[in-house]
Amino acid sequence: MSPEPDRDEWVTRLRSDSDDRDAAIEELRGIILRGLSRSLNHRYGGCLQAEDVVQDALLKILDSLDRFEGRSRFTTWAMTVATRVGISELRRKHCQDVSLDSLKPEDSMKIEVEDDEEASPAQRMDRKFLTQRLKDLISSELSGKQKIAVRALLEGMPVEEIASRTGSNRNAVYKLVHDARLKLREGFEQAGIVADDVTTIFA
Amino acid sequence: MPLSEEQIAKLLGMVAASEADCIDCDKCFDHLAEFAEAELTHREIPDAMKHIQVHLEQCPCCHDEFTALMTALRTLEGEVTSG
Ligand SMILES: [Zn+2]
Repeated sequence: MSPEPDRDEWVTRLRSDSDDRDAAIEELRGIILRGLSRSLNHRYGGCLQAEDVVQDALLKILDSLDRFEGRSRFTTWAMTVATRVGISELRRKHCQDVSLDSLKPEDSMKIEVEDDEEASPAQRMDRKFLTQRLKDLISSELSGKQKIAVRALLEGMPVEEIASRTGSNRNAVYKLVHDARLKLREGFEQAGIVADDVTTIFA
Repeated sequence: MPLSEEQIAKLLGMVAASEADCIDCDKCFDHLAEFAEAELTHREIPDAMKHIQVHLEQCPCCHDEFTALMTALRTLEGEVTSG
């Protein structure tokens, strides 16, 4: 990372009318490109190059200068903005052919577990009990929207993409899924099933 | 199509690891740069930023972006220390 003499210097340069603004933008482009070249590599199947998003990232940074409050170095903040732009685009591209249309609330969280004949009788009973409790909780505690969002997440779709396909936003879908997790956890606890049991029985 | 056993295990893992989170992704994003710098310099996370840590543990999207951010910042940091 380049040494940063003055936190405000970047903002001043990027807002100026002089040639220095162009120089600052070029400098920033180089920094963003070097960072993203490494960080976007291999993510989501590597379907995007840093060069493809650096321009959008720069525009977003320039558009958001007012939101930089100086609590970190400017370049750290700029890289944070650029990373979100880059990863969002990667996710969009990676999931572009995936649709949620086939998911219906009534069967999106259907659970059918086969009996494990090799397990001990006690393990088989635990598994049966846990599965039944999970089925009951899903049907009594989760809304249709929650079922679809959780299933999409379990299919590997990022929250951000679920939001764009369901006409919602990332914060709302995150909350929907998070509340579902908490409700299921609470429901298990009420039945005397603690976190360790939940994970070991289906490990 | 019913959930696969692997998906059930993943769901149960998510349920077991869930804990109350008082912020959303946008709020997390607003403080991510400071949080990343604290992490980079191995500074102790101040109490005021503990909710960022909780959100990152609960939210796969933000966690993913944070990991990518750390890779980018370490790349740039490496250029300075090695060059
Ligand atoms: Zn988040």
